[in-house]
Amino acid sequence: MDVVDARPILAPFVSFLCAGLVFAFGRSIFWRRFFTFLAAFIKMGLVFSMLPGTLRGVVYVYEFVEFTPGIGIGFRADAYGMFFALVSSTLWLFTTIYAIGYMQGDRDRVRFFGFFALCVSTTVGVAFAENLLTFFLFYETLTICTYPLVVHAETREALRAGRIYLTYTLIGGGFALIGAVMVSATAGTLTLAQPGILTDDVGVVTLAIIFVCLTIGFGVKAGIMPLHGWLPIAMVAPTPVSALLHAVAVVKVGAFGVTRVIYNVFGAELLGELGFTVPLGLLAGFTIVASSTIALTQDHLKRRLAYSTISQLSYILLGAALLTPLAATAAIVHVANQAFAKITMFFVVGAIARTTGKKYVSEIDGIAARMPISMAAFTIAALSFVGVPLTAGFITKWYLALGALQADAWWFVLVLIVSALLNAGYFFPIVHRAYFRPAKEPWPPFEEGRRFETAKTLLFPIVICAAYVLLLGVTAEVPGMPFSIAQVAVESFFAGGGVAP
Amino acid sequence: MTPAAGAVVSWWPAVAVALPLAGVAVSAAFGWTERRRDGLLAALAFGALVVALGLGAAVLAGRTPEVRLLHMTSQLWMLLRVDAVGALYGATVAGLGLLALVYAFGYVRPGPRRARFFAFFMACLACTLGVAYAGNLLTFLVFYEAFSVLTYALVIHEQTPAAVAAGTKYIAYILVGGSLVLAGVLLTFFLAGDLSFVGGGFLPADAAPGQLLVAFWCFVAGFGVKAALVPLHGWVPDAHPAAPAPFSALLSGVMVAAGAFGIMRVVFDVFGVALFGSLGVAPWLTALAALTVLVGAALALGQADVKRRLAYSTISQMGYLTLAVSLAGSGVMAGGLVHLVHHAFMKGTLFFCAGLWIHVAGARRLAELRGVGARMPLTTAAFTLAALGMIGVPPLSGFVSKWWLGIGMLEIGQGLALAVLLAGALLAAAYLLPVVYAAYFAPPEGRAPAADRAAADGRAAAGPPAWGGAREAPWTMLGPTLVAAALTLVFGLGSHLRGFPLAFAERAARAWFGGG
Repeated sequence: MDVVDARPILAPFVSFLCAGLVFAFGRSIFWRRFFTFLAAFIKMGLVFSMLPGTLRGVVYVYEFVEFTPGIGIGFRADAYGMFFALVSSTLWLFTTIYAIGYMQGDRDRVRFFGFFALCVSTTVGVAFAENLLTFFLFYETLTICTYPLVVHAETREALRAGRIYLTYTLIGGGFALIGAVMVSATAGTLTLAQPGILTDDVGVVTLAIIFVCLTIGFGVKAGIMPLHGWLPIAMVAPTPVSALLHAVAVVKVGAFGVTRVIYNVFGAELLGELGFTVPLGLLAGFTIVASSTIALTQDHLKRRLAYSTISQLSYILLGAALLTPLAATAAIVHVANQAFAKITMFFVVGAIARTTGKKYVSEIDGIAARMPISMAAFTIAALSFVGVPLTAGFITKWYLALGALQADAWWFVLVLIVSALLNAGYFFPIVHRAYFRPAKEPWPPFEEGRRFETAKTLLFPIVICAAYVLLLGVTAEVPGMPFSIAQVAVESFFAGGGVAP
Repeated sequence: MTPAAGAVVSWWPAVAVALPLAGVAVSAAFGWTERRRDGLLAALAFGALVVALGLGAAVLAGRTPEVRLLHMTSQLWMLLRVDAVGALYGATVAGLGLLALVYAFGYVRPGPRRARFFAFFMACLACTLGVAYAGNLLTFLVFYEAFSVLTYALVIHEQTPAAVAAGTKYIAYILVGGSLVLAGVLLTFFLAGDLSFVGGGFLPADAAPGQLLVAFWCFVAGFGVKAALVPLHGWVPDAHPAAPAPFSALLSGVMVAAGAFGIMRVVFDVFGVALFGSLGVAPWLTALAALTVLVGAALALGQADVKRRLAYSTISQMGYLTLAVSLAGSGVMAGGLVHLVHHAFMKGTLFFCAGLWIHVAGARRLAELRGVGARMPLTTAAFTLAALGMIGVPPLSGFVSKWWLGIGMLEIGQGLALAVLLAGALLAAAYLLPVVYAAYFAPPEGRAPAADRAAADGRAAAGPPAWGGAREAPWTMLGPTLVAAALTLVFGLGSHLRGFPLAFAERAARAWFGGG
């Protein structure tokens, strides 16, 4: 049921406005914080206010402009878009709190917070895009807005990382554009409101080219191998950027795009006949195992997390590629599960770097004695990635594996198991070092007058996100939790066929 | 969820798990004296034992206490349900756990790691109780994985290079095993759409045999790692000597048995006897179990380290349980269940004694035990009693369980299995009696080498004198040892009484095999 409502356009607009205000008045710390928080809260309020409707099956739409019939800019908050917007806007709030603590005394904070807000604005724009054109517009804007954040430090290394990032993503964007144009030419529309707009009477070759172009275009940001090269290098960015953009916004936009292509451009039924998703699934399976294996060898904490991100994103791609309701549910839910767990880890790694200056796995022996709360949060996130029951990761793993069995892809269950063990292989040594090894040298004492192990603005988001990882695992199906929204989304993907009991 | 006969909603199973879990907080509490903390921990463990025994009584009265804990999704929820076999295993866990805890108060040296030891110990105890009372595969998996991973911290407690190496080996084995179990659980749900244990199994007989076989072997390989089935036993002989003795006792007595318990649950409550029989996997499992009995015992013969020898003995003894499962006869299964309990207390005693020899006399290896029988008469007597029980000398508990195992085997015409049973018993004599001999009869040649070493590195100064005037360990350690040893006798003499393991085992066998 479609309802015309301005909220789908207001949500991205709020952060856009905030970015403008930050650029204009951001020299004052007070106004910068005031506008950022105000926008974060208003945006969260807007998105959450649509949630009850979404759960009832209501879809809020708002048409902005129409250039020619069928081609225009429009917004549409369907269940999947809502899911993504909820995750991004919630995490924007927490990352903002974290960033305020983390960036204290850093350079160019006006630019930082301004572009930060712009990134979130475009992310929500992508989430609520009604058609491929709108999607593409925000997708490319996100690419550009992220650049100043990646090169924030303006060191040679940062600038090089920024160049590589732009090269990858702009070429990817080109592919996406070609794909979108071809879709428009063959289907006569670009809407993402239906479970598939393409039909097989245009010929398999054309469809294959469209699929490849769109998958490459969005797959670059999702870090699917061999298009992942930019992601570990971009870890040179400040930690809040790595956390929000490289665990949530940028990379998830890529995965979100691929899912939209599979379920809203092609449709599960058509792709099931064409079989294009099989090579995509294989590639994602390969990425899962290969990048986890690389992660094992990384000593730099953030790079280890980056390779883990690459691996985890392919869970989403693979879940979407399996074309079964359960696997699609898992793919969507994993957007949230991975986001909260990975952002917890990035927050902790950043807090360690800010508090003790340590950035390498081999340097953090015995850190749990100095930063017990942070390491407890890290451990919870690690357990979630391994897929231990009662954490968010288990829910993903369970439904992905069942979905794979439904799709007769038993080999994927094997991939999941190997991946879980590899996750244990690169996260547990960190936990082991932190808890069970004696410190090599005494840790710096608590700062004067501080009761907590690190700044409260760093610690608070860590605790909330870690707690939510547990909540996601234990109360997954409570209405309003991500799982319930994902189920609504999947119902729309598989028109008529709901989630198997 | 199929309601079991006599099912009653009861929070007591959750209480049994929660009591030791509260001990984690107690251990971590700052600023308390050790005495006060120890007292509270003991009270919590005792409370768990009382609840576990109470649940046992309820089960014997025909009730099935159960409670739903967490509802994660429409497919996944946690369920605690106490049936006969769960009650039996749970009471064993709580009983041996209490003894090991009291023993550990004296054994674990004061220091910053002491609180960590007790926190993990209590958590492990709670999770093992959770395994006992798990009412569906998911709950089983949650607690099973939890205590398996928590065990790591206890294995590496000493933090010597050997202990850390043993810990790494352990965790690698266990994580791979746990993943296989998860694969089995997934396949089970895929095939049956359900996870709750049911007496006759719940997997549909008309499912594809290939998938059933994959699920079965995933379970057996996964649980087999914990149950130390040869060739998956690699971690056992390293982890046991590395861990502190009280935890070795618990590890060998009930935690390794959790693997066998898992195989039991899968065969009888997931597959069901009929489906298990028609799959044609029973002979393979029997062969694997027989191999475990014999290889474990044979390898024990050559071990100079007493705890290592006992670890191999555990491998061999756990083979009996799997053997009983694979033969799938109601008599032999009842015997197997009884053996689970009897073995727990016998092996507990043996590890307690080995720990006392290390703690008091510094004697870790067979050659260092010369004359220890005269110095520590009670400890050595307890060891001897448990060793005789393990060999199967009447009227000790080991004899009783092996008797029923043997009778059960003959009932279903498994003469070859009986031969394996007897060979295992003979080998048990061959690897345990030399320890007894060394302790009593090997002449002390002046001062034992270990005592010199102990004196040299200054340990003799602390605690009781190492060799010269050494008598027995303090009562906190000796007491649990003697109680466990006495239970070997009590279980042997009172085996037919109501409330003793056989009553539970027969009830469980009835649920699994129907009628008989």
